[in-house]
Amino acid sequence: MAVFLAQIVNGISLGSVYVLLVTGFNLLLLVAMIIHYSFPIVVVFSMYISWIVLGLTGGNMFLGLSAGIVSAVLINILTAPMFQHIMKKRGDVDINSTMVLSMGIGMIITDFLSHSVNSGFPIAFPDSLTGRGEPAFIRLGVISMSRGDMLSLTLGIIFVLGLFWILYKTRAGRAFRAIAEDPNGAKLVGIPILKTGLQSYALTGLLGGVSAVAMSILLGSASPGLGDQLGRKVLAVSIIAGLGNLKGGLIVGISLGILEALVQGYWSGTWSNSIAFVVMLIAILVKPKGIFGMKL
Amino acid sequence: MNKSGETILSVENLFVSYGHVEALKGVSLEVKRGEIVVLVGSNGAGKTSIMETILGVNQTRKGRIIFEGREITNLSSDKIVRSGIFLVPEGRGVFSSMSVLDNLLLGAHHNLKNAKEKTAYVYELFPVLGQRRNQIAGTLSGGERQMLSIARALMSNPKMIMVDEPSIGLAPKIVNDIFKILQNLNKEGYAILLSEQNVYKALKLADRGYVLETGSVVLDGTSEGLLHNTDIRKAYLGA
Repeated sequence: MAVFLAQIVNGISLGSVYVLLVTGFNLLLLVAMIIHYSFPIVVVFSMYISWIVLGLTGGNMFLGLSAGIVSAVLINILTAPMFQHIMKKRGDVDINSTMVLSMGIGMIITDFLSHSVNSGFPIAFPDSLTGRGEPAFIRLGVISMSRGDMLSLTLGIIFVLGLFWILYKTRAGRAFRAIAEDPNGAKLVGIPILKTGLQSYALTGLLGGVSAVAMSILLGSASPGLGDQLGRKVLAVSIIAGLGNLKGGLIVGISLGILEALVQGYWSGTWSNSIAFVVMLIAILVKPKGIFGMKL
Repeated sequence: MNKSGETILSVENLFVSYGHVEALKGVSLEVKRGEIVVLVGSNGAGKTSIMETILGVNQTRKGRIIFEGREITNLSSDKIVRSGIFLVPEGRGVFSSMSVLDNLLLGAHHNLKNAKEKTAYVYELFPVLGQRRNQIAGTLSGGERQMLSIARALMSNPKMIMVDEPSIGLAPKIVNDIFKILQNLNKEGYAILLSEQNVYKALKLADRGYVLETGSVVLDGTSEGLLHNTDIRKAYLGA
């Protein structure tokens, strides 16, 4: 029972990172109308930027993490014109072409990380950030959480809540949801489509940056292949929850985190990815349109 | 009714094509302040195309659109909405996954100042919307959706409301209610450009009308005149 509870808590930490990534992916899909498969690769790139700046500043946390967040926002906004150029010609071009562009961006980043940073070896974040090697921050029976776990969990929860608050309680969020439901109808009520799309890039960039911080603390390391691995997971979670279904993504993202943590707790961490995919495969066979239904 | 005779909207020699298909072939029309003007014509005559082009959804090939003395031809839809034109689209265009209140606030997206007063005003006009403000719009009946769509237009501070085929899919009694609402709004000073297949009812309501056929205006005049025109009576009124 104690192991179970401990792994549930770990799973929620990991799951909240998935939720941030999946929601970013879904927002881009719904509002900017692009399939940004490589969004998690951009996030991993931001982890690398944090790591580089940490190295350059002698471990200045604030500068390192801020650099990661800023880089995620910048990359999203800088790549936006390319996507928007495709989307302006939406009548003639298929949305799938945005996925090709996204994959291209992902490949360039992954190649760059494999050749040019740390000779392609995985990077590790300092213990002062992750809290590894310190005594447990919280101990309840057998459940113990390091300072890092605590921090990433808090960050994840605050930003997931904040994100859903933006979506459901603000003017921009209302416009996002309107475009997501009916882009033509949104245009008729006077919502500027391209400008609102750009806002969604900025917001997902911010989300990506926060995810990068949470992952740096939670995972403590990154490798050039991490982005691709996360990209596959995020795409799978999004499809299984129902493409574009924000609330579904929240539930399935958390569930995936918990599932992986339970496999790690009771069996073996090295199998958690495979098992997660077997479970997701079964889910998609039972519910081909996603557990909570597509919202496209 | 205050019909000062001042022109609020003028469309001059408008040409619009979708690919190789010419949807509008030199349409000209006017709406004066305080007027209800109706566009009459069968499906495909160009009624929706005119409204969508005024709103900036379609690019014009030729011609000009002047609203309140300012040229708005080919401006983006959000700018045109800001200038005071709002469309109540065919099929209502309500966002069915969103709440009634969210739908109303979308109408005021470009100007949320006084949103509270504006929602209070539309709840007063349409009490049923006030009662259902937190309900998902998808659960409303057809007539309620049409009211929501009109209320949403009012949220935008419009000077002219375009209403595209409001009676489609509604029971006759509800259609009467909707026409009554449009008449009352007109009395409050809103100019209304209406498109309608229910020609008799529309002409009874309107001050003037334009008859469209395959993208051109073939006839125009006062409602009274059109109601007594023999061609109109034959083609649309079954007499």
